[in-house]
Amino acid sequence: MNWVAVAFILFWLITFVVGQLLFKRAMESARKIGFRKPRTIMILSIGIAVMTISFLLNLGLLQHFDLSYLYPFQGSSVIIITLLAALLLKEQLTPRLILGTLLISGGVLLVSLS
Amino acid sequence: MMEVKSQAGERRPTGFRNPWFQFVLNIIGVVIYELLLKAGASATANSAGDGSWIGITALTSPLTWLAIVIIIVDLVIWLYILRYIPLSIAFPLSRAVDVLVPISCWLILKEAISPLRWGGIALVIVGLIIVAKPAAQLEERL
Repeated sequence: MNWVAVAFILFWLITFVVGQLLFKRAMESARKIGFRKPRTIMILSIGIAVMTISFLLNLGLLQHFDLSYLYPFQGSSVIIITLLAALLLKEQLTPRLILGTLLISGGVLLVSLS
Repeated sequence: MMEVKSQAGERRPTGFRNPWFQFVLNIIGVVIYELLLKAGASATANSAGDGSWIGITALTSPLTWLAIVIIIVDLVIWLYILRYIPLSIAFPLSRAVDVLVPISCWLILKEAISPLRWGGIALVIVGLIIVAKPAAQLEERL
């Protein structure tokens, strides 16, 4: 794997994480002010645009790697998304949730190394 | 339809519209579309140039388009789930896919799974069980 592949995998991960955070933010906005409000629609639209980029990158990567090899990289997004959900969305993290998240990510890492 | 109160004070639907039921549907959808995407991408891999990292050529496969339809349905379900379940719980639990996809690859696409990979899959399962507890507590509070 060359640095271009690493860069594309990283870019794919970043767009995926940002997209998920935007989706959650959009649904929070939908709950607070309503689904059809311009603010909700704007956040959701940006989220969908970012996720579309992520999707196309995913397709490109799938043409170069086995699914079972590539897919677990997405698992590393578990820790990132859980931490950012606590940091940016003010969600509550318990020690148990953190432990479970670390085990899931560790397991995914093992899968990707094997 | 019966409804219970959610943490946000919103009425949370039960039955078919229960977010946890939708969560299971979402996971099944992800496993199916990942396999379809790989099948579609593999079928068109020869038409991708060496420098191509954007999978536009995969769009020539009907399998990819079937996957896209499932992705769109799955996206709507996921947004519905996020309306009721915190992202810090929903997302780790959604990684059940990381267990189901390699096993599906093994069963359907005949991709090999090494002992180390089986170990990783077992670790993910333990993690999912641990995360499922806060999810159950959340359910009690709802």
